[in-house]
Amino acid sequence: MEFAAVVLPHLDAAYTLARYLTRNDADAQDVVQDAALRALKYFGGFRGTTASDGRAWFLAIVRNTAHTWRHQQHGGVGVTEFNEELHSDHVAPTDPVAAVDLRKAVDALPLEFREVIVLRELQGLSYKEISDVTGVPVGTVMSRLSRARKRLQEALT
Amino acid sequence: MTHPNLELQLDAYLDGELAEAEARELESHLAQCPECTRFLDSRLALRSAIKARIPALRAPDTLRQRVRGLQRRVRIPVMWRSLAVAASLAVVAFGGWQLGLRRGVGEKGGGETLVAEVITSHVRSLMPGHLTDVPSSDQHTVKPWFNGKLDYSPPVYDFAGRGYPLLGGRLEYVGGRSVSALVYGRRQHIINVLLWPSDRGAAGAATQTRQGYHVLHWATPDYTYWAVSDLNLAELREFEQLLQQADSAAAPR
Repeated sequence: MEFAAVVLPHLDAAYTLARYLTRNDADAQDVVQDAALRALKYFGGFRGTTASDGRAWFLAIVRNTAHTWRHQQHGGVGVTEFNEELHSDHVAPTDPVAAVDLRKAVDALPLEFREVIVLRELQGLSYKEISDVTGVPVGTVMSRLSRARKRLQEALT
Repeated sequence: MTHPNLELQLDAYLDGELAEAEARELESHLAQCPECTRFLDSRLALRSAIKARIPALRAPDTLRQRVRGLQRRVRIPVMWRSLAVAASLAVVAFGGWQLGLRRGVGEKGGGETLVAEVITSHVRSLMPGHLTDVPSSDQHTVKPWFNGKLDYSPPVYDFAGRGYPLLGGRLEYVGGRSVSALVYGRRQHIINVLLWPSDRGAAGAATQTRQGYHVLHWATPDYTYWAVSDLNLAELREFEQLLQQADSAAAPR
């Protein structure tokens, strides 16, 4: 497969993911451009054969680039490690503004919940693909997805 | 209350991720469990709300063009390889290239060729593995690296505190001579700074934009500077100011 055939068809998906991870259009564009550059660099290592292989592969690069971007933005300060227990269902009452707008509610989710929601609900990836993109086990994908949905439902009501 | 231990299963069922046998088992449970059925309904409501209220995003055209541009860049090495095969062709190409350089240095309007060279140098540096010969954010590592490689020791600064971290340096061949290239970062953007000792009566300042890259040029009594990046012009100018201030602070009185 050619680089163009692997990356270009998934630019909308890449931008969507980056947009939700950075919460900002300009940064999302920077992240996708940088991810594309990285994708070029690592393209020799891409072993996929189908379009969805390419999507998961490219989205994983976008996701990692966005995480690097986030650490650079915060200079490593104030970025607390995600803790499955700490970020359970009992923290933070729903933001009243978020309740009005579902999209804002997605933006208000912790990063680790946001990415699984975007990958599943907006882009229709399978659990296995989400696991490949995020690098966390399928079981963790399932529990994060379930908790993220619970929060969004609270925002809906 | 839903059976909490079933929530993950119900989500997986809705996502079509359950194996056939598990799905049948869950369906027979659902048939007799109103709580779990309500849970499933609420999830379905969420799904349709997301579909209805969260519009699909499209990558902006500018981004699409930028990524297509990246892709064109990777074709260049392939072109060079085919040139290498046809040796005679390569000699012609190299001769022409040198001619272009000579003109660039000699003529008054040579700035045009230099701008093109500066951009080419920038684009080439963005190809995998070409950015730096000495990757370091430490100016005291980068500056001495040029010793013995150039007949001058370029001033190297780190503006990490101002959001323009030093990423490293490399050797370049521009304007018919070996020159130092310093690489700085700004968020995801790369800024290449090419500099060499000023000729007497070196040209003043200039700004150009080509192929989506901004090129700034200025000269101090000691050095001729070229800065090139896809960073927005305002920030690139701010970066130029930082360099000029650092230079005048370092200049002997």
